[in-house]
Amino acid sequence: MSWRLRVTHTTEYRYASPVTQSYNEVRLTPRSDRRQNVVVSRVETHPATRAYRYTDYWGTVVTSFDLHAPHTELSVVGSSVVETGGEVAPTGGATWTDLRGEDVLDRYTEYLGWTDYVPRDRELAAKARELRRGLTPVDAVHAAASWVHSQMTYRQGSTGVHSSAADAWQAKEGVCQDYAHLTLALLRAMGIPARYVSGYLHTRADGAAKETVQGESHAWIEAWTGGWWAYDPTNAIPIGPRHVWVAVGRDYADVVPFKGIYTGGAGAGLTVTVELTRLA
Amino acid sequence: MSTMTSNGRGDGELFRGYLNPARPHAGAYDEMFSADASVRSAYRSLHEVLAPSDVADLSARSDALGRAFVDQGITFSLSGQERPFPLDLVPRVITASEWAKLERGIVQRTRALEAFLADVYGDGQIVRDGVLPRRLITSCEHFHREAAGIVPPNGVRIHVAGIDLVRDEAGTFRVLEDNVRCPSGVSYVMENRRTMARVFPDLFARHRVRAVGDYAVHLLRALRNAAAPNAADPNVVVLTPGVHNSAYFEHSLLARQMGVELVEGRDLFCRDHTIYLRTTEGERQVDVIYRRIDDPYLDPVHFRPDSVLGVAGLANAARAGNVVIANAVGTGVADDKLVYTYMPEIVQYYLGEKPLLPNVDTFRCWLPDERAHVLDRMSELVVKPVEGSGGYGIVFGPEASAKELNALRRKVRGNPRGWIAQPVVQLSTVPTKIGDKLCPRHVDLRPFAVNDGNFVFVLPGGLTRVALPEGSLVVNSSQGGGSKDTWVLAPRSSTVESELSGPGLVQAVPLDGVATEQGPELTASQQQQQQQQ
Amino acid sequence: MLARNAESLYWIGRYVERADDTARILDVSVHQLLEDATVNPDAESRQLLSVLGITPPDGTTLDVWSLTELVAYSLGNAASICASVTSARENTRGAREVVSTEMWECLNSMWNAVPERQRYARQVGPHAFFSFVEERAAMFAGLADSTMSRDDGWRFLVLGRSVERVDMIVRLLLSRSGDKASSPGWVTVLRSAGAHDTYLRTYRGAMDASRVVQFLLLDRLFPRSVFHALSQAEQCLEHLYHAPGRRVGATAEASRLLGKARSDLEFLRISELMENLPRRLKSLQATVRDVGEAVSQQYFHSVPWVAWTNTEVGA
Repeated sequence: MSWRLRVTHTTEYRYASPVTQSYNEVRLTPRSDRRQNVVVSRVETHPATRAYRYTDYWGTVVTSFDLHAPHTELSVVGSSVVETGGEVAPTGGATWTDLRGEDVLDRYTEYLGWTDYVPRDRELAAKARELRRGLTPVDAVHAAASWVHSQMTYRQGSTGVHSSAADAWQAKEGVCQDYAHLTLALLRAMGIPARYVSGYLHTRADGAAKETVQGESHAWIEAWTGGWWAYDPTNAIPIGPRHVWVAVGRDYADVVPFKGIYTGGAGAGLTVTVELTRLA
Repeated sequence: MSTMTSNGRGDGELFRGYLNPARPHAGAYDEMFSADASVRSAYRSLHEVLAPSDVADLSARSDALGRAFVDQGITFSLSGQERPFPLDLVPRVITASEWAKLERGIVQRTRALEAFLADVYGDGQIVRDGVLPRRLITSCEHFHREAAGIVPPNGVRIHVAGIDLVRDEAGTFRVLEDNVRCPSGVSYVMENRRTMARVFPDLFARHRVRAVGDYAVHLLRALRNAAAPNAADPNVVVLTPGVHNSAYFEHSLLARQMGVELVEGRDLFCRDHTIYLRTTEGERQVDVIYRRIDDPYLDPVHFRPDSVLGVAGLANAARAGNVVIANAVGTGVADDKLVYTYMPEIVQYYLGEKPLLPNVDTFRCWLPDERAHVLDRMSELVVKPVEGSGGYGIVFGPEASAKELNALRRKVRGNPRGWIAQPVVQLSTVPTKIGDKLCPRHVDLRPFAVNDGNFVFVLPGGLTRVALPEGSLVVNSSQGGGSKDTWVLAPRSSTVESELSGPGLVQAVPLDGVATEQGPELTASQQQQQQQQ
Repeated sequence: MLARNAESLYWIGRYVERADDTARILDVSVHQLLEDATVNPDAESRQLLSVLGITPPDGTTLDVWSLTELVAYSLGNAASICASVTSARENTRGAREVVSTEMWECLNSMWNAVPERQRYARQVGPHAFFSFVEERAAMFAGLADSTMSRDDGWRFLVLGRSVERVDMIVRLLLSRSGDKASSPGWVTVLRSAGAHDTYLRTYRGAMDASRVVQFLLLDRLFPRSVFHALSQAEQCLEHLYHAPGRRVGATAEASRLLGKARSDLEFLRISELMENLPRRLKSLQATVRDVGEAVSQQYFHSVPWVAWTNTEVGA
């Protein structure tokens, strides 16, 4: 079972007064791996710029560009065609003892540590202990993701870009970013190396060919239990042909799709649209 | 000597009570006197000149030193005030053979640190091979993931290194810490020498001291070598935070001596991943930036967005290979005080050699056994924060109260990665003018190494900082430290003597003694007539 | 050259000249206040302050001492001699690599010596301080002359100095424009501009107010005349303008302003000079201000520190 998907991610800024200088970095380019094959991918900006592309510490393709002509509108379009594979099964075999081993602790130290988005939290740590009791690491990942899915209510606008796992847990609601951070907090408390994945999700499970749907930027997690494998806690489903991944990191901060600074302008208005089309 | 006086003071008066057994840290190595009060060979002729001299004469010279510094504007800023860095008039002497050893050790260390940085920001082979724990690197505050994959054209990241050395009770030089971010102080090395030669010429007449004045030549060569090979005549600039920075004098001195522009962040801008300089005739591309701004302020795109000192887009311009930043971004991971404790492993791993310069024994609080030892023996140790410079946050166990020690224990337990501990190293002492006497005061030494990609040059000399309060072991200028001119003596028979000279520019012209011309003047008889009138 | 350094050099030129000329103007006024018992010190002081562009303090009666305090020593007053010395020194400190070491040490040791010279002048009278400032300014000019390359940096320094000189000579004349033609004050005006000997030789000893004005405004050979300073500033701009192929008039605003002011003086009928002197002086002052702005727009593209705003998009 494999899909061919076209993803078009458009970000548009409008400024009340002209911006005189801006420097930006976008992470909109998916990468090929065993599960997905990137057929073509490009990033375009309007006004046009000379972009520079590089691969960052986490392996993500970054497009960097700057603008010096005064402008009141800036749009960035990332479009790619990607072939995705079938559903991902857990890879595992590591026991709790393996996970506590010096070797694993050191190799995955960055995916076990606490960050601003995934902070150490006493309450969540207690919950993590309770969830993992009697389970293998693989099952514990499922248990944590399902628990997050059952506790949280999906609501847009209830949390901001800067909310942490602890904030989301207090609010009991949020978006995919919060689901992912909360799951990471539980997994890291259990001692399972876990990382944040950003990407796209086709919203129809039975997506018809040639039909364009309004999709969304999406986020899920990957856990290491003898091997890395991904799971989508927001929808409580395994990663399948509908998922296209773009970047992985410790948390959202490492994979921010659009980051930059500007000067001279004021009052930004912003529209983000993601369109996904199943081509085959 | 001309300084000999006949007022009855003289022999030994200056040194009276110098080796008082009751002085603090009496076990420290004194560089002029051995324990039996005989003068060590390195200082023999210095002692011969100083011992019979008159206090008033020394004080006059000392005042002249101070005035010269103020008039030349050789100052550092402390909380907004410009102050001269006190220069003591007794130089610190290092013999040729001692220096040869130090030089080899510093070159070795610099090479190892370079290899380490290339590896850390590349494949991380040392971690894969299990020589260092990955955690050591990833937990380091100055490990900048933004610098991963930035490869400088000639591979050099540490264009300038300052290695802080101390001399223990046995007189052995040990490395106290490495400085490979923006080590400062070299301007004082040069200015101390220039000023000393002006006010104390008779001392130089009796010694063969190696020159330090050509530092800028080496620095400029290293910076030009660092440029991408396509830049035929690289445009080098020095980037300073501005006139209010504590080391502004040094930034300006280096820019002047190299003959390059001294710029602030606002004089530069980045367009399409290329850095330009704003000039009266429009923009001019910049190839190499010798920056004296810390990483967090360098580029608001990647680091602190509120930084007004840096240049937006600089990091990616360096990544694109259009500009070279010296020292490179992220070098701080190599001078982390915890990474420092692994230097023997690092030297062995990359160079396959034993370290020539030993470290100061250090306990790492992040290893459980060593932490236990530190917590247990805290009152005998110096506990230092891994992050921090300028001597801030250091706790001397023997001087701390029980309450302070307990507070420190809590801090160490709370953040073991953040602390190291060392035995109280009794830094060596050198005679220093305090009031009307010469007294032993503790010193360290910061030699400077410049890496041009082919060759690591170590400036023969270095910054000797001296702790002026009695018994103090903290030499930082921000904590009441002064400095000394540091003399590396030339070997007796050597090629070094011609460091600053060389073959004449053209063949020497035979001098034929042409007298200077004079204007018309009244003859003696004319003058006489005029007077008689 | 670096735009920020060009701007610094221009201002070093201006500040040093300002310190020098303010000392000269003040010297004349103090001298007159002391010598002439008929003048009202308060009114006279207030007039001088307004000519120098300093807001006179309310509620106090001014005399020689408080005037000197305000114009010479006060650091709170941006136009005082000490403030100008400090500004000149700060600008030099920020542009050390384009200023010779000798020039820097001259200004730096001048700045360092100010407190001591002030103390001394308070004991023995202000003239000691004025001549200290004048000597140091002369030394600075001499060092600049003998140690600077005649490149753009030199031109910016001389441009600043010339522009300031026009401004200050105009102020000096304004400060005396109410005097009677026979007033002995005119001799001191000449002295303060260092023009006394030259004037006497030029006019063979005839002391006459309109000739003094004529000499200070129009003389083509005396370096402290307004005409000479304007021509020098104009020449500097001419050399700084590197774009070739100029066909019509002066394209740069600063050159146009200077050229116009210079030719106004150049082709002035001598008999008309005294007719509307104050108006003419005022218009010269306005020209100086406009030239400063035009030069800054054309050459000093240095930008203020930029404040950045973060762009970030939610998931």
